[in-house]
Amino acid sequence: MSFSDADLIVRVLSHEDQNAFGELVRRYQSPVRGFLARMTNGDWAMADDLAQETFLKVWQKLRTFRGEARFSTWLFGIAHNEFRSACPRRKELACADVETELESEAAASATDTHLHLDLTEALRLLNSGERAAIILCCQNGLSHEEAALVLECPLGTVKTNILRGREKLRRRLNIAYENYEPA
Amino acid sequence: MNQPETNDPLDALLHEENKYIEDNGFTARVMAALPRQQRRAGWRPILLLGATAVGYVLAIRWSAWNLIDLSALLSLNLHAFLAYGVLLAIIASLLWGVTSSLGWEE
Repeated sequence: MSFSDADLIVRVLSHEDQNAFGELVRRYQSPVRGFLARMTNGDWAMADDLAQETFLKVWQKLRTFRGEARFSTWLFGIAHNEFRSACPRRKELACADVETELESEAAASATDTHLHLDLTEALRLLNSGERAAIILCCQNGLSHEEAALVLECPLGTVKTNILRGREKLRRRLNIAYENYEPA
Repeated sequence: MNQPETNDPLDALLHEENKYIEDNGFTARVMAALPRQQRRAGWRPILLLGATAVGYVLAIRWSAWNLIDLSALLSLNLHAFLAYGVLLAIIASLLWGVTSSLGWEE
């Protein structure tokens, strides 16, 4: 029998049911760890530490979840806050604007038609706002409004970041698309 | 998670790269790091201790002589059995109340 998120949350809140909380963790560990791994440029150790902190915060704060948004949206918001808290300690991850780097590498790629960067590498070239918006909306299925809630920024900023991020990815992955065949 | 809504190869690529990450003990680590359940002194231990104290006073007044008189027990005297039964119940209740107030049970 499969319980909904709401059922599990009620069980956690009313009985402090750790089994129900464990089911929530199992259900969402993959998207949260994946999101944080992307945000930390593939630093899996750091991503897992942040994911663990995220779920511990969820345990502590679950009573403040009012159900106005999806549980996953609220969860990603906590994960993003954990990432932002870690960001000052690891400035190289996302705080630096990599626009200049991107432009120079894009210029280089134009002269090297054999250069291929996979998506992971391409995502590294986005700034953290663009990367987060792309991962949340294009990979995890959040709406722009939900992403704005998670990232605590205006809706217009999310839309702009997605547009700019997609354009950068398109430019960067352009060579791969020439031979792209959907799976 | 969700299927790409367009035929845009970028969406398809993003979706393809969004692979499920195996748990590999992550959930167990999170569960092990959860704070222990808080001990809560609810109303039940207080009620138990209060009822035990009252019962103890009443029982002592009623059965003191029956407890002392072991020969009555050996002679299968009903009053003596009742007195010892009450005493055992009081001790059990007292232990239950104390352990509950200390939060040793779930």
